[in-house]
Amino acid sequence: MVEVKDATIFVGDRVIAEGLSFMAKDGRLTCITGGEGSGKTTLLRTLMGFLPVRTGYVSVDGELLTTASAHAFRALMVYLPQQMQLLAHQLYPPQAESMDAEAFCVWNSVLPEPVAATPPQALSPEEIFRLAEETFRQSGDKQIVIADEPAAYLTPELTERMLGLLRQQSAAGKTVLIASRRQMLVEHADSVIEL
Amino acid sequence: MALLLLAIPAGALYLMDKPSLRTFAVAVVRMVAQVLLLCLVVWGMIRFDSALANLIWLLLSVAVAALVATHRGRLNAKKFLPSVYCGLLVGTLSVGLYLLYLVIPVRNGMDPRWFVPVMYLLMGHTTTMLIRGVSAYHTALKADEQQYEFLRGNGVTHFQAVKPFVRRALLAVISPTAANLSVMGLYAMPLLLCGIFIGGVAPINAFAVMLMLTFGCVAASVIALFVTFWLADRCIFDKYGKLV
Repeated sequence: MVEVKDATIFVGDRVIAEGLSFMAKDGRLTCITGGEGSGKTTLLRTLMGFLPVRTGYVSVDGELLTTASAHAFRALMVYLPQQMQLLAHQLYPPQAESMDAEAFCVWNSVLPEPVAATPPQALSPEEIFRLAEETFRQSGDKQIVIADEPAAYLTPELTERMLGLLRQQSAAGKTVLIASRRQMLVEHADSVIEL
Repeated sequence: MALLLLAIPAGALYLMDKPSLRTFAVAVVRMVAQVLLLCLVVWGMIRFDSALANLIWLLLSVAVAALVATHRGRLNAKKFLPSVYCGLLVGTLSVGLYLLYLVIPVRNGMDPRWFVPVMYLLMGHTTTMLIRGVSAYHTALKADEQQYEFLRGNGVTHFQAVKPFVRRALLAVISPTAANLSVMGLYAMPLLLCGIFIGGVAPINAFAVMLMLTFGCVAASVIALFVTFWLADRCIFDKYGKLV
């Protein structure tokens, strides 16, 4: 169970939410919704301890979550970020580039150019879904699921399957907390928090 | 008499492409000045024959190499210079002393005749590989920050989350060396081997020294890479684990 009590969430000097209180219970699908830029992602990042709360607190199963203690709590979490389509290297690790044998001899003094990493190619909706499935499968019995716009890059058909996956997690007694503007996900949530 | 040999390329350029003659002359003068300076330094060190002088020379040379590496790698000097310096120093010195005292059969490992070329060779190769390794690591983290956050969000430690990026940096360091080792000396004798032969070493000993130094170069660059990453970590990530 994740509890937020009288929390002030902020980014830089901008206050996203003030005096925010809610409880995401085990076995339930909780959906945070709101317009673009309303702070859904920031709130999720705060619940994961990536960002601090200014006032109030966040607790997990009754224990206080701070940025310092967050790592221990994150070990209990499964996380699907908003930009899932950029996780190509998680599915396909980049391989060593083929090299010109004469380019960097151990006895010469030719200075190389810096290596520029290429940004990952965007994953297809099917690949995003496969990665989500894989992440859930590897998570074992982690008790908290946090998904930021889990259907953002999915087709309507895959969105339904994603909803099924999330439902499966909550049916297993896990706390499922998502941020989404997709009507289908908002409608099927057990509780909705509007920012 | 050797200068006479220069008349051949200079003459050819004079006949074929006069404007390039000036560039060629400047390059020759710069090369002569640099080699002369280098040899004067080594001569001075041989005259001194002091372990302290050797170490001071190494500290200064590594500082220059670290500056070159950060500049050439287009890295933020404020963030990376201290860690690149320490990485280079640890990689070069540890492997260099290991080679000089435990591997290469020399009476005195601090003899400048051995100390200077061995350290120079290790430092040169390590600098080259650090440019590739650190730039690969930093640009990969920037281009793929989402992957780091994904891993952190799923509860892995910081060390585990940077592992895919360290792997990419390691590949950037190892792959050119591996490609290079596989064709070493097939159709042209490596300059290093030429130097060893000119120094009067028997072919079998030259073979052994060549291998020792080559393996040393690879080991030094990997050590330097890991030390640099370890030390640069606090400058790359903020206290919340976000890439600065």
